[in-house]
Parts: sequence; structure tokens; C-alpha cells
Amino acid sequence: MTVQPKKLKGRAFLTPYLFILPWILGFLAFTLGPMLFSLVMSFFDWPVVGEVTFVGLDNYINMFTDDPLFWQSLWVTIKFALLFVPLNLFIALFLAMMLNQKVKGSGFFRTVFYLPSVISGVALAMIWAWVYDGEYGIFNYLLSLVGITGPDWLNDTSWALVAMVIASLWGQGSMVLIFLAGLKSIPESLYEAASIDGAGAVQKFFRITLPMVSPTILFNLIMTIISAFQQLSLALLLTGGGPLQSTYFYAMYAYDNAFKYFKMGYASANSWFMFAIILVLTFLVFKTSGKWVYYEGDNRRGGEEA
Amino acid sequence: MKKVASKWMATGMALLLAVVAGCSQAQPAGTDGTSSSTGTTTPASSDKKETVTLRFATWDTDQMLKIQQDIAKQFEQKNPGVKVQVEAYADGFDQKLVAAFGAKNPPDVMYMWDFPTYNASLEPLDEYVKKDPSVAIDDFYQGLLNYNRFDGKLFGLPAGFSTRVVFYNKKLFNEANVPLPTDNWTWEDFKSAAKKLTVRDKKQYGFAVRSEPDTYDLQQFVWSNGSSFISPDGKAIEGYMNSKETAEALQIFSDLAKDKSALLVGGKNQQSGNDLFKASKLAMYDNGVWSLESYKKANVDFGTVVMPQFPGKPGKGVIATSSVSIAKDSKNKELAWEFLKFFVSSDAIKMRTSDLPVRISVVQEKKLDQDPLYAPFYKTLEQSTDTPAFLLNPHWNEINRNLSAAVNAIMMGQNAEELLNKAVKDSQKFLK
Repeated sequence: MTVQPKKLKGRAFLTPYLFILPWILGFLAFTLGPMLFSLVMSFFDWPVVGEVTFVGLDNYINMFTDDPLFWQSLWVTIKFALLFVPLNLFIALFLAMMLNQKVKGSGFFRTVFYLPSVISGVALAMIWAWVYDGEYGIFNYLLSLVGITGPDWLNDTSWALVAMVIASLWGQGSMVLIFLAGLKSIPESLYEAASIDGAGAVQKFFRITLPMVSPTILFNLIMTIISAFQQLSLALLLTGGGPLQSTYFYAMYAYDNAFKYFKMGYASANSWFMFAIILVLTFLVFKTSGKWVYYEGDNRRGGEEA
Repeated sequence: MKKVASKWMATGMALLLAVVAGCSQAQPAGTDGTSSSTGTTTPASSDKKETVTLRFATWDTDQMLKIQQDIAKQFEQKNPGVKVQVEAYADGFDQKLVAAFGAKNPPDVMYMWDFPTYNASLEPLDEYVKKDPSVAIDDFYQGLLNYNRFDGKLFGLPAGFSTRVVFYNKKLFNEANVPLPTDNWTWEDFKSAAKKLTVRDKKQYGFAVRSEPDTYDLQQFVWSNGSSFISPDGKAIEGYMNSKETAEALQIFSDLAKDKSALLVGGKNQQSGNDLFKASKLAMYDNGVWSLESYKKANVDFGTVVMPQFPGKPGKGVIATSSVSIAKDSKNKELAWEFLKFFVSSDAIKMRTSDLPVRISVVQEKKLDQDPLYAPFYKTLEQSTDTPAFLLNPHWNEINRNLSAAVNAIMMGQNAEELLNKAVKDSQKFLK
């Protein structure tokens, strides 16, 4: 079916590889190399200062059997993901659809929504610290204007994680842009045809828009899951994992083990377990995606068109 | 194509391996081009053109860093041919230091406080002190030297310190007709003052309770109440960490937050007690000397006073120290010692205006122990005779994890005794 690419020989073969050589070297030296090194480390007791000893699977076994913080941080991360992933996708898609309207000033709003993604995570965290302050923060002030007494967001165990979710939703500008690109690629003719057939806005959304952007949703879903599980900077800067470990994310737990307690081997084991979780989730999403993702020109679902 | 590709891949891998091997070889030797620092030159070298570089690592930034750079410059002037390379690691101090030690390429001299973690990599200083009376070791406060000993050996010399005192806003006290605190006030006095100084409508509070206080700082309250987190020999926590007295000391703060005479301040970069004190929204705040200058700049009319006492029990203090140490792997130990000596000399200590002088002679000369703002710090220093928990047990880090969690929950209003019992139970395994 596909055309076999012509085989390149000699210089012609070499040239493209030379062009990407810097990237390849960087990848091997700074990504793949350290990754494999950390896999090795995960089988050692590696205190950085002091003796390195081989402990086999002990790090992994300890993690599951003798470390309540492991379970606590994993649970916090899962709760965060369950809130964050659907909300993030829903809001990003919603914003993208709003921006896709042909109204004046949509270009301006596109910039506005993308802007938070440009700000560094640290600066963003500082801003949220002011916004969320229970006593003097702007958030509770705004709530008080409509007669609501806001909680002490970051010092309240039942609200701190919610506060993290809200603050994380802020940086979804790039996701909105990706959705927008997906929406733009839907041929206008589909909507026109649907209008002629008498379809309403709701029907158009569920019958045309949603299936047509489903590949984009798949991509964004996977990226969101990954970012949810790797959430670190906000909690690190805003709450330090508190109050009462209610925002103690798994990534922070691994970070603490590595850079606060200098248990590099153990932290490597933590990280590889996280890698496994993300791998499994991604695999599951891909596995089920055949049921809900629609690819234009895909024969698997389209039947005998070709 | 597959065959060709694999050949290229093999070449690439070989190349990479060569690079990696090259790097790992260069490290222990320490002679590659990147390490300008720990060169093989010695100070005794007859060649005058050759300069020796001494690496000095600090965690300070801003003004404090500037002072250290000035001290380093003075040292360079007095010792021609020596260059002091000041390495400011700031917040990442421990991470960078650990990495440097791990790579066997540490700075020669570094700021230090965590002797249990690093002592194996540090040079014991007892011999140096004995051989070199010009360091005048007796001029340092004994309490400070105690914090520099681990396993009976001296691993650092104190450069600066702070104890903790209560800062209070005189204007707010006068407005509320509350008498200003004195040296013999009790926690009952403190509590009633905090209550009277809280004006909810003005968003003004008597005190600020940290929801996640450093358990290190809390030790002085526990000591003052006649208990401790850990037994004096560092082997037991049962009956110490969960004693009635410990719980009582911690409960004070929790109660203040609960009856709203104190504001709960928390997290890392959230609204800090510091900012509130500067804005005159806080009548009292316990803190070290670090913020004193900024309070002055904020035009707060404030005073300092020692911490309140438990009736009939002597007050106790805890010290935060900045010490300097020499790395065991340093290649210029003699020069490092000279630098260390200069760094803690009277001249250098007088330059350190952002923390408190550690030498008795300097304090007497500047009459700091009679200055109303500074005297409480020195009064507390005299009371700092107890040894902090982390110096008593090498596994304190892990135990402290459980204790911190308990303290956090106590500050949020949960039952202290129950939580401390649980922390003790969870920590027993680390004591073996």
C-alpha cells in the first residue's frame, strides 16, 4: 500500500543523521543515559556520600511493604489525577470552541489564554500563594463580595488539593491551542451538510465536532495523564506537601527521597514505579482508543468505502 | 538498509561509550581542563606566578553573600598568590554539596551545620586548634562550640549564629493597653497578651503559628518545659517525644490558633508571619535575628524579648548556627585552615553585620549584650546548653519525618498526645 522509500547510499544516507547528531548525542547523554543509570541505581543503596551497596529488589519491596508515605503520596496523586484530567480536557476543549467562534477579538483572547503557559512555574506558584491566602488573599476577597466566606485554601486539608487542581488548570494554554488546531481542521462542509439536514448545535457537537477532534482528545488525554502524575513544582513551592500531607504528590515523595534524604537508590525505584504506572495507563488508553477515536480515512471503522 | 543502520548505530554507541568512559576517567584524577580549582599546585611552590585557588561554598545570597565575598577579598590581599573562589549554592546548598562530595571534588572550605550527615567527609579540627593558639578558641561561646562537635570531635568553627526571641510591636501593645513583655514573663502572660492584641475586624493578630514549624525550632519550648524529643544518649524516644511535657509545650501553639488569638501561617511561600509583622498586622512573632534589619526598614516600632517561660522552670534556647568546615578531600588543607581562621577572626566577624557575632571579645567591644534589641539573643544563648536531637541520633532525619507529620497535625488542631504516641510508635524501627 505505502510506497517504499528509496534507499539512500553514502553521503546522502549520512547527511540527515549528521544534522540530527547533536540531538541524538544530547538524548543519549542527558536522557537515555541517566535513565538507564537510575535503573541500575534502583537496585542499590546509594547514599551519595558513603558506601554504595547492592540490595537487589529491597528498594522495591520496602516501598510496597514498609513505607506508609509511598501509599499516601500515591493516593494523593491519583485523587489529583481523577479531578484534574477530566476537568482539564473539558475546559480546554470548551475554551478552544469559544476561541473558534468567528467573532472580533478572538486573536486577543487566544493570546490571553496562552499567556499563563509562558510564565515560569515558580512565578506562577508565587502568584497563587497570594491569591489563595485565607486571610488576606484576593480569591477570598472576591468570594466575600458575593457573600461567601472562603476557606483557608492552602491550610485546609479538604481544600488544599482542590486549590492545586485549580492552579494547575491555569497553565493549559498549549492544550487549548492544540484543540483549536484540531477544530480548525474540521471541514466546514460537514457542518453545512448537517445544517441542511436540520441538525441542531447539540447534535453537531456530538455527531461531528467530538468525533472529528477525538484524535486530538486522545493526544491531550495522554499528555494530561502524564503531567498529572508528574505534578511537582506547585506543591513544592506552595504547600511543601502539606497540610497533613494532603498535597504530598508522588513526584514530591520521590524528590524528597532523592534530594532531601539522599536515598538515591530508593528514589530511583520510586521513579521507575511511576514510569510503570504511566506506561500502563498510556497503554490502557491506547488499547481502548480504538472504540472512541475516529480517524478520517481509517478503514477499520469506515467499512468498505475504499 | 537495516544492515547499514545497525552499523551506524554501533559506531554511535562506540562513540558515546568513549565519551562516557572519558568523563568517568577524568573525575577521580581531577586533572581535566574543567577543574580549575583543585589544581595540583601547592602554596609552598617557589614559582611566584602560580596562584592557588581555594574553593569556598556558602548557602547565603544577597547582602550576606556580599559580606562573605568581601571577607574572601581581604584574605586574598593578605595572602598574595591565593585566589578564593566563592561558590554561592543558595537554596540548593545541600544537593550541590552532597553531589560534590560524592564526586570526590568538594569545595575546600564550606558553610556547615549538619555534622551528623557530613562528618565522615569533614576534617576534624581538634589538632589544628591545639597547634595554632592564634585561633583563640576560648573566645567563642561554649554553647556555639557544642553545636560543632559530633562524636566528641570538633568539625567546624562558628562564624555566625542566631537564637530565637519574640519580636513585639510596641505600638500595638500600647494601643491595646497591654504592658510590654519582660524577661520573666510566662506563657500565661503570653497567651493573655495574644488574646488582647487580636482584633478580628482589623485583621490584626496577637501571634502567628506556623502550621509546619521546623521541629528543630520547637525543641527550645520542649526543653523549657523540662522534656526533650529524645533521651540525652540519643537511644530512646519513648517517654521523651511523647511525654506529657512535650505535648503540653506543643499544645500551646495549637490552642492559640484554635481560639484565634493567633493566625495560622503555613506552607512555603504563603503569607508569612514576617510580612504580617512588617505590616503591623501581627503583635508578636518568634524569629531569629535575620529579619531584624527588614523590620527596621519597614518602620515598625518593635522590641525583642526572650521567649516566655513555664512557671518554675528555667528557660532554654536553641541555636541556629553558621559554621565553617574543611573538606577531608581538600588538597590545600593548610591554606584552608588559614582561611577558616581568618573567616572566624574578630576582623571578619565584625564585617558580618547580618548575623550575630560569635566571639565574646567582639560582643563586649560592641556592647551588644547590653543593647536592648540584641541582649535577648545573648541571654537566650546562655540558656542554650541542651544538645539538639539531630546531633544525638544519626537516624534523626527519618524519625523527624514522623514527628513533623505529628506536629503539623497538632498545629491544625488535633490531639497532641495521641499523635505523638503514634509518631513514637512509627519511629521505633529507626532506633535500632
